[in-house]
This record gives sequence, C-alpha cells and structure tokens, in this order.
Amino acid sequence: MATAQPGGACPPPGEDFQHLAAGNVEVAYRWDPRALKVGQFFSADVIACRLPAGISRIAIDATMPAHGHGMNYLPKATETAPGHYRFTGLMLHMPGRWQLTIELYDGNTLVHRLIRDLDLKP
Amino acid sequence: MRLAATTILAALVVSPGPATAQHLSPPYTEAERAAILAHGPWPPLATRDPSNRVSGNAQAIALGRKLFLDKRLSRERNRACATCHDPARSFSDGRPRSLGRSLHDRNAIALANLRLNRWFGWAGAADSLWAQSIRPILDDKELGLTPSLLRERLSADKRTASHYHRVFGVAAGADDPERLLVNVAKALAAYQETLVTGRTPFDDFRDAIASDDRAAQARYPLAAQRGLQIFVGKGRCAACHFGPNFTTGEFEDVGIPFFAEKGRVDSGRHGGIAALRTSPYNLLGRFNDDPAHATGLATRHVEPLHRNWGEFRVPSLRNVARTAPYMHNGSLPSLAAVARHYSELDEERLHGTPDKRLLKPLRLSSQEKADLVAFLQMLSSKVESRR
Repeated sequence: MATAQPGGACPPPGEDFQHLAAGNVEVAYRWDPRALKVGQFFSADVIACRLPAGISRIAIDATMPAHGHGMNYLPKATETAPGHYRFTGLMLHMPGRWQLTIELYDGNTLVHRLIRDLDLKP
Repeated sequence: MRLAATTILAALVVSPGPATAQHLSPPYTEAERAAILAHGPWPPLATRDPSNRVSGNAQAIALGRKLFLDKRLSRERNRACATCHDPARSFSDGRPRSLGRSLHDRNAIALANLRLNRWFGWAGAADSLWAQSIRPILDDKELGLTPSLLRERLSADKRTASHYHRVFGVAAGADDPERLLVNVAKALAAYQETLVTGRTPFDDFRDAIASDDRAAQARYPLAAQRGLQIFVGKGRCAACHFGPNFTTGEFEDVGIPFFAEKGRVDSGRHGGIAALRTSPYNLLGRFNDDPAHATGLATRHVEPLHRNWGEFRVPSLRNVARTAPYMHNGSLPSLAAVARHYSELDEERLHGTPDKRLLKPLRLSSQEKADLVAFLQMLSSKVESRR
C-alpha cells in the first residue's frame, strides 16, 4: 500500500505496459519479470495515470476466487516517481484462475477496484 | 461430468490388446498434458545456497555428514540427526510422531531435494536449511544441547575439531558458541542439500509425453497412467503438489485434526511464521552469508493470516511410497489411507465456505483410489548424496 497521487499520462499500450480503466480512473501496469510463473516472486510497476480527487492510497492484491484464498505474501510498495509505484513480493503459488486487483482508497475506504483476470498455466 | 469420467475409466479397464491397453486413448487433453509436463524435468540443476558460505564445499559436506551421524550432538549422547532421519528409511523414521528425548508433536519429514524448498519444517518456521538444522540441536524434545555444550564436545574431539578448523578457519574451542552452532548447522545443511532422489518411472513417462514417444509411454503401467489422470484432473492434487518436486512449497489445511493432544493445538503455519519472525537465525539476520540478503525475499513479505491456523507445509511426493506414515502428525498409515482421506474429506473441518474451497470430497471409486496409489508408487527412487 502506498500514498497515491496522479502520475501523469499513461504510456501507450504495448508489450510493456497494460492498462486498466474504469470511469475516471486509469492505471498502467507491467510485471517484472513479464511472464508470470507459478511460485515465482514478481514485482509490479504501476502508474496511476488518472485518479479522481480524494484518492489517497493505492494497493495491489491477488486472489483465487474459486478457492477463496489470496496470496501468502504481502506486497510492499515504493513510490519511484510521483504517481509511479513499484510493488515487490507478489507471488501466485498455484496454477489456475487468479484475479489481480489494483485498489484505490480514500483513507481506509475502498473506492475503486480494478480487476485483471489471469489464468496461470502450469 | 462424474458419469462421463466413470464411463471413460470403465472403457479403459476393458479395452483389449497390449498395443492399445498400455496408454490412454485419447492420451491426454492439452490441459492434462501441460499439467503432467510441469512435474519435470528431473533432476533439477544443483545450485548452491547463497545464504550458506560453505554450501557446495566438499570439506563442509564431509563434516556435515559426520555430524549428521554423531550422537554427541544429543545431550545424552544417544541420538543423532540420523535417528529420526534414518538413511536406511529414506531419511525418515517410519514413526507417526518422532521420538527424541520425548515424543514430538509431528512426523519426521523425509530429507531429500531440500535445495528446492522455500520453507523448512511442517510449519515453515525456518527459511533456510541451516536455520532448520539448528532447531533440533537446541530443542529440549529432540537433541537438547546448548551452544556451549556443543562447542565443548566438538573441541574435545581432535579430529572433528581439526575438520571444523579446516572448514571455517577458526578453532572450534576458540569460536563463539553461537557462531559455532550456526557453523555446525551450515555444515549439516551442506551435507543434507546433497541428498537427492534420482529419476523415477514417472520421469521417464513424463519425458516420453514431452517427446511424444508412444512406445516409451506404453512402458508406464496403465494403472499409474489412470492415477496420474486423476492426480492432474478430477483429484486436483496437482494444485498443491505442483512442479518437479510435487509441491508448491506452501501451506494448506487438508482437514487433518490439529490437536497435538487433548486441549492443545498445533497451530501449524501460524505459529511457524511467528517463530520465523522472532528467530535470530532467519535470513534477515546477521548469520545470512548472502551480503545482499536477496535470499530473504520471502521472509520479508510473509505475514501471518488467520487461515494459517492448522495449515502445514505441502510435502513433496517424491519417494512418498517409502516414507509412510503421512501428514504432519503421521496419522495416516498408508497411501491407501491418504486416498481414502481425500475421497471422504470432512468438509465441516475445513476453512472457508463450501462453494469456495479447493478441497472437496473426491468420492473416488475403489478402482480410482487404487489407481491413484499406483501412480504415487511410481515416484520412488533411491536417495543419493550428489554434489
């Protein structure tokens, strides 16, 4: 979880960054390493391109909806530039369908949850 | 769906002729094939442990092997690491719960392929093999030594003391007792990480699937092929027993009661994380030889969760047929009992809501349970010390 602020224009969609948007919210993200593997730690670079007023914090999470559990590790965030974040310590420990979520908070209140579905192959 | 699966299995049982009966037809779905291939190749490349400066060091391995068998590492000089991790029993002891200086709460985990672990022990209270090796030396229920007593015994034996000096560059008698304890554990780890299992009939079959070698596939027993199909399919075993070492290396609650005795709970992973975080020997501490502490990534990010109560580490299934009994408390005596357990799971015992659980009773037929066991029996191989 990190203190959120707008990071400026999103980079163009391409092999590197992917976009998630809903209403007046838009974020760009990429994984490091780019290809996710079961049981391998990865980081996420996130740019908060457009944020509505009042958003103060940004977080990332992942869950397996069919199994009712999330990750076993808590990602930690660093702001690398205004509105640019690096989350470390993500790990998807099982193959199957995961939902990666980028969450935006006003204080402790969850305001937006942007969801990316991911089928993690064996 | 269940009816369809039953029909296919029945057809396989009666299909005639050796040419068609030795492999499943159609062989596997793309998803099954991918899941099977993910369990190899084997063996993996040997790697050094950056957190242990004597990992891979021949002198340290020899010292570690000697100490592994040395009963002077127990207070009463009557037990060694090898007592519960017996080389003649695939480095386990065959007992439900191990007997050290008193009865332990948990089953002795068989030692092999340990460089592939992220966590050690049933609760993952250690994040390195050398840290895990410290615990039984000090544990009053196991070997019951103190660092000072360990130093006294090592330095009293000229040959062992000389060996220690050659490996660590300091005389045992002059070393700080805690530093000596850690060094002994690192030598023990250097030896234990050489213990690996060889190739199995499953590995040959898996490689034959990869190369689409139907003749080689046909050499794998049909019952094991059917069991494998359950393992990666309806059994969903491969969700947790995933990858070349047949484990995610993480923790699950699989419905085994976690009372160590009446009124006393074994908290499993929850307690493991608490112990890890307070341990002076974890990978975030001063004894980690990896200067960048990159090896401490998992430790930096692990946090206790409510669901960790009653979770225990998912064990590797390599050599599973040689390492009975099973589960953290050794409560299941045979692979048949394990298959029965997952077939008839007590859902009331599990965490989570019924529609959002990975584990559900499999309701396997007798034939399916036998096939699953036949597959598990194909994962055996001698444990060897290899560098």
